[in-house]
Amino acid sequence: MRRRLLITLMAVLTALLPGCGGQEAGPETAQLTLAAPRDLVAGPEDPYYVHQTLRVWEPLVTVDDRLRPVPALAASWSAADEGRRWTFTLREGVRFSDGTPLTAESVVANVERFLRIAPRQSAFFSLDAGVEAAYGKVEDVRAEAGAVVFTLEEPVADLPARLAGFFSMVQSPKAFTASGGFAGRPVGTGPYTLAEWVKGQRAVLTANPHYHGAAPAYEKVVVRVIPDANARVAALRAGEVDGLIDKGALLPAQAPAIAADDAFRVLRSPSVLTHYLTFNASRRPFSDPRLREAADLAIDRQAIADTLLAGTAAPGAAFLSPVFGDLAAPGVTAAYDPGGARALVAEAGAPSAPVTILISSAETGQFPYADIAEVLRAALEQAGIPAKMTVAEATKAVMESGDYDVFLSAYSVPNGDADYLFRRFLHSDAPWNVERRLGYRSAEFDRLVDRAATETDTAARRDLYHRIQGLLAADRPMIPLAYQDNPIVTTAAVGGVRQSVAYVVDLGALAPST
Amino acid sequence: MTAVVVRRGAELLFALLVLSLLVFLLTALAPGDPAEEILRRGGVQPTPESVAALRAELGLDRPLFDRYLSWLGDVLRGDLGRSYADRSPVAGEIAARLPATLRLAGAAALVAGGLAVLAALMAVLRPGSPVSRAVALVTVAVSGVPPYVVGIVLISVVAVGLRALPTGGGDGPGAVVLPAVTLGLAGAATLLRLLRADLAHAVRLPFVKLAAAKGLRRRRTIVVHALRVAAPNAITAAGVMLAELLTGAVVVETLFSWPGVGQLAVTAIRQRDLPVVQAYVLVTAVAAVLLLALAELCLAACDPRVRRR
Repeated sequence: MRRRLLITLMAVLTALLPGCGGQEAGPETAQLTLAAPRDLVAGPEDPYYVHQTLRVWEPLVTVDDRLRPVPALAASWSAADEGRRWTFTLREGVRFSDGTPLTAESVVANVERFLRIAPRQSAFFSLDAGVEAAYGKVEDVRAEAGAVVFTLEEPVADLPARLAGFFSMVQSPKAFTASGGFAGRPVGTGPYTLAEWVKGQRAVLTANPHYHGAAPAYEKVVVRVIPDANARVAALRAGEVDGLIDKGALLPAQAPAIAADDAFRVLRSPSVLTHYLTFNASRRPFSDPRLREAADLAIDRQAIADTLLAGTAAPGAAFLSPVFGDLAAPGVTAAYDPGGARALVAEAGAPSAPVTILISSAETGQFPYADIAEVLRAALEQAGIPAKMTVAEATKAVMESGDYDVFLSAYSVPNGDADYLFRRFLHSDAPWNVERRLGYRSAEFDRLVDRAATETDTAARRDLYHRIQGLLAADRPMIPLAYQDNPIVTTAAVGGVRQSVAYVVDLGALAPST
Repeated sequence: MTAVVVRRGAELLFALLVLSLLVFLLTALAPGDPAEEILRRGGVQPTPESVAALRAELGLDRPLFDRYLSWLGDVLRGDLGRSYADRSPVAGEIAARLPATLRLAGAAALVAGGLAVLAALMAVLRPGSPVSRAVALVTVAVSGVPPYVVGIVLISVVAVGLRALPTGGGDGPGAVVLPAVTLGLAGAATLLRLLRADLAHAVRLPFVKLAAAKGLRRRRTIVVHALRVAAPNAITAAGVMLAELLTGAVVVETLFSWPGVGQLAVTAIRQRDLPVVQAYVLVTAVAAVLLLALAELCLAACDPRVRRR
């Protein structure tokens, strides 16, 4: 009897385990499997269809590691008429993956499509305020002698920076329907084409035979979607994937252990992501600038960056992080001075009711915000400001009702457009400032931001941005807590890994390491 | 039997109707205006006029009961609305993910049921033998551990350590094993305890002695006859368990990145994608009600007394 039971058990198990151990053993050099926390394909309803990282399409302009605009499909550009007229010369010999050549007319068709369909939501960078900043002042765009010419209503100092990345995506006009949707799969100029897509599970890329650059080393790249951080690392350790990429690929807490393992190579590169504290200055107690200063002084940013963020971040000071290059104000520092904080609270009067530190439950999975908020709470209490932490699902609704005092959250900008950040967050009529009750009204700030946006002299513009950051460091409507790196990882067998500050890993440059 | 089916069918219909009303009210009365939400997601700053216009277009300005009826009509036609997040039809989204959830639930039920029946039979056929004790002990001990811990252990030992099976992911036939074992172990103990107790009771009933007196082999008596008598409680529990597997595999689906409806629901809740959440609640609740009804029919088939009731 027992034997028969065992046989039955074995039979059940064999039925359950078909194909295990028989993982496909194709040539490892030709195929690469990666995993990302989110789907890097958004589908035909999205304005871009696929994320820039997948290298299916290329933009006119992209950014370097200091968020400076650098050529992609545009070989060069020049401004005339004090920034009212911008001419982009295209790279030669570029073809779309359907074999048709890239022309200035096809670029114009893409720009016109953006203008026609905006505002449009995207899983990556929505065509709302961002595209308004990029294209808002365009009077006319046309193809002239093989170049693309933008004529603007007002001078724009940094049009290439504003267009960099998503907002200057170029795909074959044949990829789009008359209404601006996608007729089928995306048709771009990048090293890969999208061969297969299972929503929420995986994207399969194959090499584009018409690519203008060197053919990628991997014929086929599979990008799996694994939303859970532990599941991602398990898949990596189990040898199912060769690397983890994209925003939040490795949690700060996971990075040190993986980096210590010789089988893997962790790339920690700075990102556009910065953790900010946003104050609700439209109600007491933080309507009092002395208490905002006290809160600022009470925070040990170094400890947060080193310990809670496990060294994957640097302590914040200036509003623009170092990835903004020389636009980041070098003179701004953030002191840790608990004694000074206590003195300020004593002078201004300690609030009687505890202040609310608000965090979003959506962000606690990516960053240790519950721990950071706890540390902030302790720091505020030591300074004499009683505090409590609230985790909310819909932080937007909470903030719009004004029922918070400090909000801890992370922001990033899609390109090197500093204007976007200031105008969208802190300008007196900025949606963030007004709707979320920041209560920041500074005529001087508004004036400086407006001036910087149209200042075409690079040095003068840089000085304006330094002055703006000096002003923000004194007014403290939002304070930068830490500048976050984005650690990604591959096995030691994969080489050529580079990551831009906007989390874009150039899949076309990956190659077996020698 | 036919009368039972008809009566139960009528009850079921009523239950589903009440259920649909509850699901509808849950979202209709939830805070936040869908029209405003859709406009914002579209990247447009809503104005009172545009919100009013969209509300009229969506029929949100009509009386609640009218809205319920037209919503119910849509649902019966298979239209579950469109996702706020990417505008895709929700019904398609659910349909694309349902097979993965069903596959996992089926495999987990197989593991749970198989383990429970085997262990219970062993316990009764060979009471006190080391193997049957060990199986019972392990099953009960493991079931006391939360599934995510079992899952993490399985992943680190079997998938990462031995590299014997995939960590999940839904691709390839081996991928279902670890999540199914994780879920199945959790359910096995409940079933085992019910089945073992009922089976131990059943083998002491007079009909077993009668069967023995008539010369039927003890093993056959127990496996065929006593098991059937002992089954009802376990079947009821299995129905509830299967319903839970369909609705509540959220943790395990996340842990093993299993592309089922549970994972979809988690993402939707994070993004406040109300139509998807509503569809998830509706579909899983209907599945649970139907499963419980099915379990009841199984009971009736097993036990003539239920049929007469």
